[in-house]
Amino acid sequence: MAQEASSSTSSKTISLKTGDGEIFEIEASAAKQMKTVQRLIDDLGDDITIPLHNVFSKELPKIIEYYKKDITGEITKDFEAEFVKDLNDDEVKVLFLAANYLDANKLFEFLSQNIADRLESKSVEYVRKYFGVENDFTPEEESKLREERAWSFRGIKEDE
Amino acid sequence: MMDHRNDFSNWLDPDTSLKIFKCLDDPADLVRVSCVSRTWRDFVVENGLSKQLCLRMFPQLSRVACVVELNQNGVKGHAEVGSSRSMESLALWKDHRVFSYFARFCLSPIAMDCIAKAICASSTDNFPQESIDQTLEERDNIAGRFSYWSSSGQSNPNVPETLTYQLASQICIIKEINIQPFQAHFQMGSPIYSAKSVRFKMGHLKASLNDLSDEMFVWTYTSPEFPMAQENRLQKFMLPEPVLCIGGILQVELLERVQRQEMDGLLYICVSHVQAQGIQLSPAFTVDILGPSGMFVLKRDHRANCQPSATSEDESGEITTDGDFQQIVDILRGHAMGIGAVDGWDEEEYEVDDFVEDDDVL
Repeated sequence: MAQEASSSTSSKTISLKTGDGEIFEIEASAAKQMKTVQRLIDDLGDDITIPLHNVFSKELPKIIEYYKKDITGEITKDFEAEFVKDLNDDEVKVLFLAANYLDANKLFEFLSQNIADRLESKSVEYVRKYFGVENDFTPEEESKLREERAWSFRGIKEDE
Repeated sequence: MMDHRNDFSNWLDPDTSLKIFKCLDDPADLVRVSCVSRTWRDFVVENGLSKQLCLRMFPQLSRVACVVELNQNGVKGHAEVGSSRSMESLALWKDHRVFSYFARFCLSPIAMDCIAKAICASSTDNFPQESIDQTLEERDNIAGRFSYWSSSGQSNPNVPETLTYQLASQICIIKEINIQPFQAHFQMGSPIYSAKSVRFKMGHLKASLNDLSDEMFVWTYTSPEFPMAQENRLQKFMLPEPVLCIGGILQVELLERVQRQEMDGLLYICVSHVQAQGIQLSPAFTVDILGPSGMFVLKRDHRANCQPSATSEDESGEITTDGDFQQIVDILRGHAMGIGAVDGWDEEEYEVDDFVEDDDVL
């Protein structure tokens, strides 16, 4: 049974290595919020550099930034709004998948809501492209659906 | 069992997507999600997402015991042909059809006055000139005659009053209630007989009434208290969230009197007009209230595929009441006026509705 990582010094940092070979530092208390990372620490020890094959140098700093704020209890609505303000839909997608992989619950919840918000009033075609889904309705089914749901197709944003 | 994993999305699995879909709070978005592909549509249906969204918007729906579809001939979900669907699956598809249609109404920007009839007032000073019926009339002066309701006088300002109304549809979404207190220009100083604050209740008639006991109604919603201004204008009281009124009964509670009548030194409350702005869900939807439990059956009539639109009170076909209910309303009105059942009323104006409920009666 793995022993709990010693929290004797609050300034203890963990080294994380991304899938593209870059290394980033994170406080142990922040790492604890990401269950996948914590599991790896429990298995490998906290002195070793933790490999994160599915997370890359583009997104990891952003995730670290989020949890740095989290451990000081400073996450506010304003911070969250600012956090995603300049991210496009694809960048949010990548962060979301990384948060899922890292089992970083708080960030995952926040990004789920953000993706749902971004989908608001987007067209069906946009949603298909974004999620990479193929349309398997026949043309007749599709036009019947559109007819039935005409009320919800008003007010669609222009695809970005 | 359908395996969603392969064709669900190139980066989302069912669990993560469920997380995202549950965050959608606009019914239109959920509808569009179900138009993306067959797999996604099945996913929305099988996870009951339409129903969950409606429940979040209107917690009053938690009292739905079950859902019934009427006049459904030929209307079937796309994937329902064939007998391979289980009972559970059929129920889920039915829920989806009914709740996604229900959600349409929530999005309608149209709002109109949903009050159809006055039932009774807690007290009335001069009957019938100052009866609750006068509050249905928007103008406070018609050809020299004033149109308003007046309570009886009290020396204690804390004696409240209530005005009870029947809505145009047994099931309505109410967003806002508007009240205009009455200003007595014919009295010295033109006093305004408003109340200090108001509160609203919504509910249904009690299933069984043995006698005219205290509480004839079951209230399923009580609003917060709103301060009322002592001003002669149509004051708007917007509910914190739109409320689903099931049973079609609205009560306005007028709390605390502020205006004394010089002539007798008593405190009165007088109201010139009351409106309840919202959306009528009949005839597309009707309800049957099940006994004392307050649970109800939500019925969707596929014959009635109307868009929510302004209808006049004359289309009384939409008022789904049965003979018993109307009789009780009439007795209550008589009781409140302190006279016999329907004596002294212009009966032509208030005829029993001829729309008859289906088999299930209260």
